[in-house]
Amino acid sequence: MSSQTDGSTGARSAILGALRKSLGRTALDLDVVAGEAQSLLGDATRHQPKFDDQTSRARFIERATSERLTATVDEVAALADAPAAVQRYLQQCDLPAQISHPPMDCLRELDWGAIACHETLSPDEPVAVNIADWAIAETGSLVFTSRSDSPTLYSYLPLHHVILVDGGGILRYMEDYWAMIRAADTAPPRSTNFITGTSGTADIEAQNIRGAHGPRFMHIVIFGE
Amino acid sequence: MQQTSHKFKDNVKHALKQPNLRTAIDRTTGLLTSRRRETLAQYPEYAEARATAERIKDHTLDYLDHYLEMFEKNAIASGAKVYWAETPKQATDTIIDICKSHDAKSVTRAKSMLGEEIGIGEALAEAGIERVETDLAEHIIQLADEPPSHIVVPALHKTREEVAELFTEHHADPHKTDDVAALVESARRELRPKYVGADIGISGANFLIADTGSICTVTNEGNAELTTTLPKVHIVNVGIDKLVPSMGHCAVFIRLLSRAALGTEISQYTTYYNGPKRSGDIDGPEELHIVLVDNRRTEIFDSFMKPMLRCIRCGACMNHCPVYNAVGGHPYGYVYPGPMGAILTPAMTSLEEAGDLPNACTLNGRCQEVCPVNIPLPDMMRRLREEQWRRKLTPASMRVGLGFWAFAVKRPWLYRLGTRFSVVMMRWVARAKGKITSLPGAGGWTRHRDLTAPQQGTFMDQYKRGRRS
Repeated sequence: MSSQTDGSTGARSAILGALRKSLGRTALDLDVVAGEAQSLLGDATRHQPKFDDQTSRARFIERATSERLTATVDEVAALADAPAAVQRYLQQCDLPAQISHPPMDCLRELDWGAIACHETLSPDEPVAVNIADWAIAETGSLVFTSRSDSPTLYSYLPLHHVILVDGGGILRYMEDYWAMIRAADTAPPRSTNFITGTSGTADIEAQNIRGAHGPRFMHIVIFGE
Repeated sequence: MQQTSHKFKDNVKHALKQPNLRTAIDRTTGLLTSRRRETLAQYPEYAEARATAERIKDHTLDYLDHYLEMFEKNAIASGAKVYWAETPKQATDTIIDICKSHDAKSVTRAKSMLGEEIGIGEALAEAGIERVETDLAEHIIQLADEPPSHIVVPALHKTREEVAELFTEHHADPHKTDDVAALVESARRELRPKYVGADIGISGANFLIADTGSICTVTNEGNAELTTTLPKVHIVNVGIDKLVPSMGHCAVFIRLLSRAALGTEISQYTTYYNGPKRSGDIDGPEELHIVLVDNRRTEIFDSFMKPMLRCIRCGACMNHCPVYNAVGGHPYGYVYPGPMGAILTPAMTSLEEAGDLPNACTLNGRCQEVCPVNIPLPDMMRRLREEQWRRKLTPASMRVGLGFWAFAVKRPWLYRLGTRFSVVMMRWVARAKGKITSLPGAGGWTRHRDLTAPQQGTFMDQYKRGRRS
């Protein structure tokens, strides 16, 4: 692929050269650029939607269960109570007591009782249960990151997506998540997925239909305070 | 795609004769514009967010060379390979080379307008590689063998009845109904095995984040993630205008994009990708290739059309455009229709080819009003018209007509004489009815409505009377 790499290098200098010629700039003070970029964001509260009268948890539940997002929510005291909540959901939906979950120790260690668990994920998996890293109150979104025990596809292949999330992990805004990541100063994960409700499409006559390619049903179990 | 912008007027005539087209357009743009209005009513901070977004894009453009290099460095550090392409051909050659080096037989694709720009569909077909469009609308138009007619909902010109016919003909196990939910289910069943069987996934990107080297995709269906996670190789084709400095800056656009495009607070799936699969990861591609494409963006950058590079491809301008709503996207004859297309098409092809587009506009200003990054679309259309005039691209009849008008308007006595003469003529044509039912040269007007004859004389007559009284 050497010729292609040469082509790419040529294109790179042509593109950057054209931009610089148009900008007519010689030296660049990187601190000035960074300062300008930061000042543009200024006070994020000026453009964030306000919901001062609501707790993060209340806003999250309101958004997640809205007509638009179509999720259902259950609340339990602790993670140990999550299997019982999952069992309730399976019964409500008249589904067999069988789930797939990612190979996370915290899920393996739970007492799943009558629910049969497996850690493989088929392309038409009926029900998958996983844990979200965080939730975002503003939009009712859940945040997942890829790790060796947290594959991405658990959020996309199943028909029913059951998500466990820590009640203490509900952030107010997306910016709060990014500020936290920036402060941790670690390399970003391969995949960071903000998921808001079930897979939908408005491609035929703008009608909102659920279960386009990903999950058709989303059930959220909030554990802890 | 085969560009037909030079036949715009014929295309429009053809579109206006389509019996179902207006119904199909109205069903979609009507819902999208009313949902947008409702969502923005619940977002009082919108004006502030819009102004901030405009400033962020302008800042990024002011240092675009710097941010491109920053993005490249960080993307490479995360394990991605970065390529640059000046022309559509360079871009498709790069992509096809990658496909061939993996002996790819089948490619899944998540909708990207840049892919349409560079002609990725044609390039894959020439290389003998199966292309599976995974976005529902792109799947529909792939089956119909038609180009997209909208940048967000590309199959907007199809009614559900027409989609039902297509699916019945092409799907292995179709629902024989035009119920929309059943149609979606049929596409899900048809496409699921193709996701799993694809060798390579190709997507675009809604944003490139400079300080992390991340790619961001925004979808409602989840088709992007299935396209980018299941195959062994993920290729991203993306324009150099998609940069934002950081995740914090990106958040401002995430709030605006879905509100402007679909009237929702946020789309279902917003994903940030950094490099290929890590050691120990169970899923994800083994390789991530990013192709940064110019396709004359550097020329736009150096012209009065520079603000066009702020565009986040939401489609609000076309949803609110009376011309687009009357004729749909196909008459524009290129990848981008509506007001944004009336700028981008001449810029990316030529004013000779696409000169009718900036003229197919009533200058009502709605497009700029609803634009989430405040692009002065009407001003740019005026500038393009001036440019046409300067380069003598306007039709001779118009140049002659305007020449006469300019000659008269510079001589007030002659101009007043002319207007007085036309008032007399119009009254004479209208006779006792007081209405003109047909007027030579204005048949387009009088075919559907009568023209009232002037009752009070010319403007100057009325003005003088007013001054005396």
